[in-house]
Amino acid sequence: MLKKIAIHQLPDLASGLMGKGTLVAPVRQDAGFQFREITDAKQVDLNYHNTVISPKSVFFPQTEDFVRYRTGRPMLEAETVEPEGKPLILFGVRPCDVKSFEIMDIHFSGTGPVDPYWQARREATTVIGYAFDLSATAEPEEFYRTLGIGAADPEGSDVFMVRRGDELLLKSITARGEALLEAIDDLAGASADDGKFFDDTVAAGRDFKTRFACVDAKAVTKKLEDLFHNTEFWEKAAAACLSCGVCTFACPTCYCFDICDETLFGRGTRRRVWDACMFTDFTLEASGHNPRTKVYQRLRQKIGHKYSYHVRKYGVISCVGCGRCTRYCPVSVDIFSIVEEAMKT
Amino acid sequence: MAVSFQQIEERLRNEARRLLESGEVSLMLAWGKGYDENHPMPYVAKCPSDADGIVFNEYCTHNMARYLVRYPRGTRIAIAVKAADSRAVVQLIQEDKVKRHDLVILGIPAYGIRNPKTGEVVDGRTTCGLYNPVLYDILIGEEVHGQPASPPYTVLAEYEAMDKEARFAFWKKELDRCIRCYACRKACPMCYCDPCFIDQSKPRWGEKSPETAGNLMYHLTRFHHLAGRCVDCGECSRACPVDIPLYLFHKKVAKDCEAMFGQAAGMSIEDKPVLVHFRAEDTDNILK
Amino acid sequence: MSFEPKILGIACNWCTYTGADLAGTTRLQYPQNIRVVRVMCSSRINPSFIFRAFQLGADGVLVGGCHPGDCHYNTGNLYARRRLAVTKKILEFAGLEPERFRVEWISASEGNKFAEVVTEFTGQIKALGPQTKFKIS
Repeated sequence: MLKKIAIHQLPDLASGLMGKGTLVAPVRQDAGFQFREITDAKQVDLNYHNTVISPKSVFFPQTEDFVRYRTGRPMLEAETVEPEGKPLILFGVRPCDVKSFEIMDIHFSGTGPVDPYWQARREATTVIGYAFDLSATAEPEEFYRTLGIGAADPEGSDVFMVRRGDELLLKSITARGEALLEAIDDLAGASADDGKFFDDTVAAGRDFKTRFACVDAKAVTKKLEDLFHNTEFWEKAAAACLSCGVCTFACPTCYCFDICDETLFGRGTRRRVWDACMFTDFTLEASGHNPRTKVYQRLRQKIGHKYSYHVRKYGVISCVGCGRCTRYCPVSVDIFSIVEEAMKT
Repeated sequence: MAVSFQQIEERLRNEARRLLESGEVSLMLAWGKGYDENHPMPYVAKCPSDADGIVFNEYCTHNMARYLVRYPRGTRIAIAVKAADSRAVVQLIQEDKVKRHDLVILGIPAYGIRNPKTGEVVDGRTTCGLYNPVLYDILIGEEVHGQPASPPYTVLAEYEAMDKEARFAFWKKELDRCIRCYACRKACPMCYCDPCFIDQSKPRWGEKSPETAGNLMYHLTRFHHLAGRCVDCGECSRACPVDIPLYLFHKKVAKDCEAMFGQAAGMSIEDKPVLVHFRAEDTDNILK
Repeated sequence: MSFEPKILGIACNWCTYTGADLAGTTRLQYPQNIRVVRVMCSSRINPSFIFRAFQLGADGVLVGGCHPGDCHYNTGNLYARRRLAVTKKILEFAGLEPERFRVEWISASEGNKFAEVVTEFTGQIKALGPQTKFKIS
């Protein structure tokens, strides 16, 4: 089903969506755009390129409470925080970020133990994707095309949006998306011409240029494994790296976390908080031994994990080329330049 | 400037080649090519052929003094510094993290340096506003004279004038945004503690989760730890992915320290950091 | 009910704490709002103690040390003076009322002064009302 709505009617669309569930959409904040729960339909702003923090935080928030307890009381009195399954509409996700959900599913609801919090939110969410603006050039940090993701790929979204002039075309991709579009009143029917424009955009998105040529995941995997012991290479690659957590926190496919207890005045919470492999104490063992004390070891782990170990284990590169790590890195360490350099070594 | 950035770049390369060839130093810290023109990145030259990788342009904001403590003591290092960066080097020498005789300091007088993310000129706004390095062995370019000064503390006026309720609301709004990526402390040339107080679990000084309480504890304590040591290079705020204006607080503390103790951070290697020092003429007036 | 502030007192072992003892043994009256923690020297006070005290609900913090020049360790309070002065500036710029934090030099023989300072400080904090800015709710 293809529908359309004028851009200036965006608040109407947003309030329509708010009637169907909790709406999470890009909002302009002091430090750039972020996905936030919408309380006022006028907050939704589509004039963004991409958000600072990836939309993974909608399914996997930076802090997630598991258990609330009181110290000195029997364990049975502790209360578990149940996963919430309220309907959620995630609006305006860029195609590369949509792809990241699929990769994260491997870890949270695919192989091995299932994370009930992730799963409950994921199942209750309708994802509305939004194509990049193909009339502009890609930002210098982005390389999703390199990883085989188009600038207007609708796969993975329930509804996919493309902007045409002053109008927004919305196409349902899944049955869930179709049901949602049917339930929104303000949408107008689209013409055959709009349909053609939509399909052309999706096709053009596959030819959209971002940095770097396409890569062969298998070759990269092998190369990075071979380079593991090449300390000189990694030291050079990590010479600038500060070992902060910006790249991992902004990344749509980083999922490491730490479980910590925070207790105050006898009331405690066991919670999950994002952690980053770039932090010194990430691998610190209880004995005091730390297998990764050097910056290059941590950067090697990060790149190796995304482009090598992950491919070996799950068959897919754990990166979608959104470019956030490079864009927000205080010292402009560019992950893919390092991979490219590795291929030349 | 009398000497262009391109000429500075050329001279940096020549000096690097000379210093590394003669074996006077074993590495040189400068800037190199990043993923595009506007994003140069910190660079380490280890052999004469690396010298050609050195870059200098208006986006070379990074404070290379940050990397000095990464190398073992006694490593002979050449370091390229702008004005604020040289103060960081001086401060590190004061704190005995590096030895003066292990360093060859290449001072670069410069103004019009820009933040690569926003494109804004940083002089005096987020940095200390000096143009000439305070300590160097080799001067790259010419000292800047006659350029209108950009005073470091004028940006504070607006915030000092706020009443305390408004100021609290301002800091709460800013600090609540913190995602605890710790880029500020990692970009800071003076933050070299291992482990950082906030990473300690016995005692646990503050919450690890990015919420009001832990954020306040982390940032206030960090401002305190940098009191009289912050050289106002502005790297913490530049590194912040959510644009928290940390520089404002650091500037305020630096200004108060200057007023109370009569000494700015990193101006002379003879000085002692103000909080590990006292003078007989100190009075209780500072506690008022 | 009238507001009864919680005040954290941090007192150095050699002067202020002994002074407080003297106030007690001479049966001087002072408000019970202060809870005194003994440290060996005012320079042992980590500024984070003070930030944390406000977070955990203190309405005021009073630090007591030896008079400058009288430090049991010769110079401890001279360092502390500089450090705590900075702490006060930081609290002020963060928007907390600086009057909630006070440093006093009270010697072992000044039981009177201890009682007076505590009385006056408690009154001051009462007038300011509960501290809610830093307090973790």
